[in-house]
Amino acid sequence: MKYAVGIDVGSTQTKAVMLDPARAILARVLLNTGANVKLAGQRALETLLSDSGVPREEVGFVVGTGYGRYKIEAGDTQVTEISCHARGAQMLFPGTRTVIDMGGQDTKAIKVGSEGDVLDFCMNDKCAAGTGRFLAGAAEVLGMKLEEIGPAALKGARPIRLSSVCTVFVESEILGYLAARQSIQDILAGVHEAIATRTVALVRRVGIEPEVTFTGGVARNVGMVRALEKKLAQPLNVSPEAHYMGALGAALFALDHVLARPEAASVEDVPAAWVGQ
Amino acid sequence: MSAVAPAPASQAKEYRGVVHDLSSEIMTAWLGQLREAARGDGRPSAYLMISGNCVEILRCFDILPIFPEINALQLAIRKKSLPYIMKSEEVGYASDNCAYVKADVGFTLSGGVGPGGNIPRPTMIVCNFVGCNVYIKWFEHCAAMFGSPLVMLDIPFVRGGRPSRADVDYVQAQLRELIARCEELTGRKFDLDRLREILRYSARAEEGWSRCKELCKQRPAPFDAYFDSINMMGPINALRGTKEAADFFDRAVTHYSDLVARGVGVLPEERFRIVTEGPPPYPYYRNFRNLFESWGAVAVQSTYSTVGGTWEFGFRHDPDRPLESIAEQMLVHNLCNRTLLDRYQQIRAYVEEWQADALVIHSIKSCRLFSAGQGDMREYFSKELGVPTLMVESDLEDPRYYAEAQMKNRIDAFFEALQYKRLRGAAARAATDETHGSAARVPLPCEGCAAAHEKTRLLPGGAS
Repeated sequence: MKYAVGIDVGSTQTKAVMLDPARAILARVLLNTGANVKLAGQRALETLLSDSGVPREEVGFVVGTGYGRYKIEAGDTQVTEISCHARGAQMLFPGTRTVIDMGGQDTKAIKVGSEGDVLDFCMNDKCAAGTGRFLAGAAEVLGMKLEEIGPAALKGARPIRLSSVCTVFVESEILGYLAARQSIQDILAGVHEAIATRTVALVRRVGIEPEVTFTGGVARNVGMVRALEKKLAQPLNVSPEAHYMGALGAALFALDHVLARPEAASVEDVPAAWVGQ
Repeated sequence: MSAVAPAPASQAKEYRGVVHDLSSEIMTAWLGQLREAARGDGRPSAYLMISGNCVEILRCFDILPIFPEINALQLAIRKKSLPYIMKSEEVGYASDNCAYVKADVGFTLSGGVGPGGNIPRPTMIVCNFVGCNVYIKWFEHCAAMFGSPLVMLDIPFVRGGRPSRADVDYVQAQLRELIARCEELTGRKFDLDRLREILRYSARAEEGWSRCKELCKQRPAPFDAYFDSINMMGPINALRGTKEAADFFDRAVTHYSDLVARGVGVLPEERFRIVTEGPPPYPYYRNFRNLFESWGAVAVQSTYSTVGGTWEFGFRHDPDRPLESIAEQMLVHNLCNRTLLDRYQQIRAYVEEWQADALVIHSIKSCRLFSAGQGDMREYFSKELGVPTLMVESDLEDPRYYAEAQMKNRIDAFFEALQYKRLRGAAARAATDETHGSAARVPLPCEGCAAAHEKTRLLPGGAS
């Protein structure tokens, strides 16, 4: 009963992490959430168990997070992804004071205390403007894969200026720029710049205090990382596993429960294996 | 580091009680009078605004007051507002126009007002509220739809905290004009003694209202000053000046005093005391309430409950200064006709005197007028005063703006952080204070200490 699991059922993808009592990551999975949210959580747990070789009865606590958190049958409790991202980011980058989490349909700015506690947070409005979905829309209209647009954006020397970051209207606006023979690189540079501008305004509402850690699926996009760094005028902490941050935070909350049990062995704080990659 | 405890699953709960039933009784009687008037009993009626209203003058002439805002919110809370909102959009009202206006106009265009409905066609339209330009247009539209005479009162916006002598005189002069119009309409002579009697009932209700609000300073608070306040807002705003409303508040005070004496709160455990700013999302009133209830959060004060009047700060209608005190109420003793900085001070007093843990701002999508400064308000409270502040957004009338999953996410995250902070504070105290014993593995909040700690932190210049 000494292992802890965090499952993050997001709008697009489901992520899960298993930790041992020393906070080392034993296994992690990433799969598409799909239409059956309940099944996504279940499959994530099964995959963790088979990948790690840990029997189910050795998992002491499961915390669910993400929009589908209440649908996770194995979840012993639920914690919002806001608390989880803060906690996960602080474990990987202990100097974190600000977290920017950009996911499929929302962007969060979180002000974090020294223990990964949430001091304040702001989220985008009830609208997917300027989130991962916006980038996906742009990629689609340009006939590119999501992972291609970030590197392409870095090559744009003269970013176009978008009139809005509306996820619906971006397609027609991009088509307009294509018709005007603007280069794809310049268009993509403009797309990333527009999102960065909007995101930095959101982060200013909680206050920008270094170090800033960038989490969520969009943190894998190098174009977005650079655009944000430019607007913020400071480097960002980015883990190659940034999209697991919510699940990692959930697993850390689960580990609190495991360790709080009288039978749990006392464990010293051990640095995590992921740091510095 | 200890885990954040989960919020228990939200349960469907009936939020009713003695005061709800008493309120329902007298409000239903008033709605019955409206229905009779709609069917043509010949009684004159007038449209009026809630905020800073002069219902006492209409009452003096036995003119039945009708509040289109109440019509609109009744539609919303019964989940019937959307078709009427869409009806208004069909005829050209913009999607981000005030949803109260659209629901009411759509309701009127659909035949809800007049002989076929429960609301009489107003004999007169009195626009008493000039804190909102949209409301001026709303009442102009109503006057045009019904062909009823419109009395537009110009209430100067209050600058610098207090109205000037000239402001009060200006409003009093307009009240005299209104009285003359009422005399014409009813054929009755103005009776000053009758107005004084009505104002005595008003003052009695206002005293009861204030005493109820004052009781929420107790731990636990005997009622939720946001969600349960609507039971008192009907009587204080629509029925003010009647014996029924005055008696209602006497009974409410007795009931809530009894709850306080017995230590009975709104919830089995009052874990967080909050102050709220902004109207509730009426189309999802209970859902929204459940999101707070699941965290043991109780509103001990709210600004919304004071749209009609800020009586808890001492103002009463005065039978010895009838028109002057009505003018003062309209000018300054209500939430809406004052600066945003005045609102800050009101909220600050609530947080400090009612000993709240946090501020929750519910911003209204279709009302930019009152939402415009809320971003600054959030910053002022969270950054300058150190009061944890949550801002969420939906609408008071239009169900399309409410997204339950997103709302829940924000509210859960906010209380997770508050709870965590409290647990950590308790753990730190347990580690340093021998009277608490040695550090426990899973610290539990010590209610008294947490309260004292929070209070100290919230006071200006207090040690933290």
